[in-house]
Amino acid sequence: MSIETKLRVTEIQRFCMHDGPGIRTTVFLKGCPLNCQWCHNPEGRKSSPELLFYESKCIYCGGCADVCKNGVHIIKNGHTLSRNMCTSCTDCVEICPTCALEICGKEMTVDEILEIVEKDRPFYGDNGGITLSGGEPFFQKETISLLKASKERNLTTVVETCGYADMDILRSAAPYVDLFLWDLKDTDEKRHMEYIGVSDKPILSALDEVNKMNGRIRLRCILVNGVNTIEAHYKNIAEIASKINRLDGVELLPYHAYGGSKMVSLGYEDNGKKDWVPSTDTIAYAKSVLKENGVSVI
Amino acid sequence: MEFYTQNGMKRPIRLCESTRQFAYDSLNRKYGLDTQRVEAVKLDNVENYTQLPLIHRYDVAIMKIATEAPIRICNGERISGSATLGMAITHKAPATYLGKSTFGGISHLTVDFETVLKGGINAIKAKAEKAYEKYKSTSKEPFLKSCLNCIAAFEQWHGRYLAELKDKEEYKANYNNLMRVPFNPAQNFYEAVQSIWFTFAFLRLCGNCPGIGRIDYLLGDYLKKDLENGSITIDEAREILAHFFIKGCEWINGSSDAPFYGSGDAQHYQNLVISGVDSQGNDVTNEVTYLVLDIIEELGIGDYPTTARINKNTPQQLIRRVAEVIRLGGGIVAVYNEDTVIEALKNDGYDEIEARGFANDGCWEVQIPGKTYFSYVPFDSLQVLQKETLGEYASELKFNSFEDLYQKYLSHLRLAVEKIYLRETSQEHSGWKSEEPCTVISLFEEGCIEKGQSYMDGGPVYNTISPHIGGVADTVNSLYAIKKLVFQEEKVEFSEFMEILKNNWQGFEPLRQYVLNKYTYYGNDNDEVDDLYVRLISDFADICVSFNGKCRYNFPAGISTFGRQLEWASSRLASPYGRKEGEVLAANCSPSPNTDKAGATAIIKSYCKAPHVKLASGSALDIRLLPSVVSGEDGIDALAGLLRGFCLLGGFFMQLDVADASLLREAQKHPNEYKTLSVRVSGWNARFITLNKEWQDMVIEQNEH
Repeated sequence: MSIETKLRVTEIQRFCMHDGPGIRTTVFLKGCPLNCQWCHNPEGRKSSPELLFYESKCIYCGGCADVCKNGVHIIKNGHTLSRNMCTSCTDCVEICPTCALEICGKEMTVDEILEIVEKDRPFYGDNGGITLSGGEPFFQKETISLLKASKERNLTTVVETCGYADMDILRSAAPYVDLFLWDLKDTDEKRHMEYIGVSDKPILSALDEVNKMNGRIRLRCILVNGVNTIEAHYKNIAEIASKINRLDGVELLPYHAYGGSKMVSLGYEDNGKKDWVPSTDTIAYAKSVLKENGVSVI
Repeated sequence: MEFYTQNGMKRPIRLCESTRQFAYDSLNRKYGLDTQRVEAVKLDNVENYTQLPLIHRYDVAIMKIATEAPIRICNGERISGSATLGMAITHKAPATYLGKSTFGGISHLTVDFETVLKGGINAIKAKAEKAYEKYKSTSKEPFLKSCLNCIAAFEQWHGRYLAELKDKEEYKANYNNLMRVPFNPAQNFYEAVQSIWFTFAFLRLCGNCPGIGRIDYLLGDYLKKDLENGSITIDEAREILAHFFIKGCEWINGSSDAPFYGSGDAQHYQNLVISGVDSQGNDVTNEVTYLVLDIIEELGIGDYPTTARINKNTPQQLIRRVAEVIRLGGGIVAVYNEDTVIEALKNDGYDEIEARGFANDGCWEVQIPGKTYFSYVPFDSLQVLQKETLGEYASELKFNSFEDLYQKYLSHLRLAVEKIYLRETSQEHSGWKSEEPCTVISLFEEGCIEKGQSYMDGGPVYNTISPHIGGVADTVNSLYAIKKLVFQEEKVEFSEFMEILKNNWQGFEPLRQYVLNKYTYYGNDNDEVDDLYVRLISDFADICVSFNGKCRYNFPAGISTFGRQLEWASSRLASPYGRKEGEVLAANCSPSPNTDKAGATAIIKSYCKAPHVKLASGSALDIRLLPSVVSGEDGIDALAGLLRGFCLLGGFFMQLDVADASLLREAQKHPNEYKTLSVRVSGWNARFITLNKEWQDMVIEQNEH
């Protein structure tokens, strides 16, 4: 693959602190094969560019309506959008004086991405570096080139993945990944089908494969109250963790409803569910079960 | 008894209960309120007071303060001496004549505690006696007589403490120590701490506010020797040093106006410096360095604002320890990148050995302790642009190019600095300064006794007046906006733009939003605008240097606003980069509010691009971090990474603050001023203001726990 290889990027965020060790630059890649009902980053799901609208920033100046060739923007008693007419041409984004409009998703070459990642090199020290998140980083085969190029530049690499990926891509990429943040969403196949839309079997075999390749893995487990906050699930996590040779601990991520706010910017209903938020007791219980079963919880 | 943190973490407990109680009481104003009980001594009954020469009046005042100030021994204190007259808190000599204050105090310097420790006050006295003989019957005699009088006053005050402590079993150690110090050289760590404190307390009692300087360098060898011969344990040493910190809080009185209007009750310039290299280039970091950090960590005392001197080779152990303390919030520990500071001092003419000894003026402006007269003169570079160069937005002005405008601005900048030079060197000004009695401080500044000249009168080895440019980010952003909008994009005619600004953007809100949001300003690691920032600072430094050698003063350049962005706000017109008139804009070297969008690393990178080695006075960067960003082991890594990067990139001085949930509430009320404030929401960083209110409330509530 040439250096001109391009990836679809949602956003590149510098100075990220909790996406792996040290100071990291996180590259959010666009496109995901899953359809989790609790998705925290809904702007990362579609591969194609999407228009984001932050109504709180809009001053209703009408610049977007004037410039749009397709009549997407209507400024009348507020600002409404006919998103289905949008061609992602970015004319409105460029004219909007308050940055209330944003196009999410652009194609960037490996070099363009790494040029931004390199900017914070003086802060990385021995352990900081690049983190790939998403979306699902392995949804794009070009991710392999990005990881390879990162290692060539002596950057530490962390990938946050759902594990639902093409095995060939995963196998090719694994040698260039210093740490996998592996999202283990549920361990019950039926629930997995219901809430995520696919079986968990391919994910578990992918995990097994990466483990065989001696990948370093941290399990990241979302806790969705009333869905997977049950002892059997915790025990399954412990069981899976026990088989990982280079385990970097298990991290519990309590569900939060903030993804709903992003859904609104994308033009969807707010789908945040407050009753999915686990209580501190629930989280503490999950931790205690994991610890009883010999798991180190981060 | 809880010592507050910004991030909800518990502070470790290492000190004994009574020391912690002492700290708690002191922080909660007990001694500050007591200090206010007696405001000042009265000179009303001094015979022929108004007939006396000014310097004699001063000597009388100092002796009266030493004789009459209330003696205070705090219950269980391990070191003694208290500055107990209320007027001293306001930085004036606490002596009145017919109800009016008489003499001012001196601040913005660090005095020579090294001589106090190694030679004792007696060494200074011997030097003064010798000089008195030398200058007898010359115009310098009154100053040297005053030196001897002030030492006599110090002896008087010292004697009163000895009398008070004598035969009190509980304070036997205090008494024994004071029998030796500060008049004789300190023999061990405990005496050394008492020696510095007692001298410091006397200076403060007389209305002065010096900094402490390099405390670990001063005390390290004493402690090392004591630990080696087993005469003290590290825990005992920590207790003693903690009392030094707690005594330093004896002016905390809860007033927002002490010492100055609105600036709170802790602005007493009593900074101290830890770590860094010695005159030979060896790292001085020692047990005392870590004790200082232990004490700050445990008690959260920010009243000795502490700065660690680090460089790109500082051991990870110290960097991480500093990060651990910073993490608790309050911005208590700041850092110098000493490589840059030493280089800047060398560029300003100091030799390397001298430069390596730098401390500060009790704030962050660097100086050689015990040898430097320092003052600084601030000015607002944004008002220079608005009022001089752009003639308060005169539409008839013409500039052929952006370069033309920039050169015009530089000429006005030069005039602003020249004005400082002319005023400071005027007959009137130097006459006033040479008359101003300041003997107590002069005793502790090398050169004064030797030359027979006071601190204000050119006595010290080095004499500096530092022009401090303020509003740099705002000026750079303003120039940049004009460059883009008028000269590059040609969206608006220059004359029309001046009219728009004169009218405070009225009727041009979309244009204002465009300028505000569409251009990338200083603080985002964007070379196009940062180049302008680099150029402006470099040109300013060159202007300052051009006045060196013309008089007794050097004019080291500095960048600061301290809190002046508040007082400048009302005089500022609308700014070309989208701000309305009267807004509170950038602090020190920080980006203008609301313009930094790429995070802390980008701010540091932009800041570090400037030629800080040309700024011998200093340039401060303030960054506020959220508690969640620096939580956990990752958080320490992150802070350590920021400190390392800051050194690698050639920064000068940086203060990292960790802010609490109340800031988020402010952000909610004024979202436009907190555009880049990110919050960590398990698994991702959200920009706080792009969440809607309901979610914001939830984040705030989460952070409250």
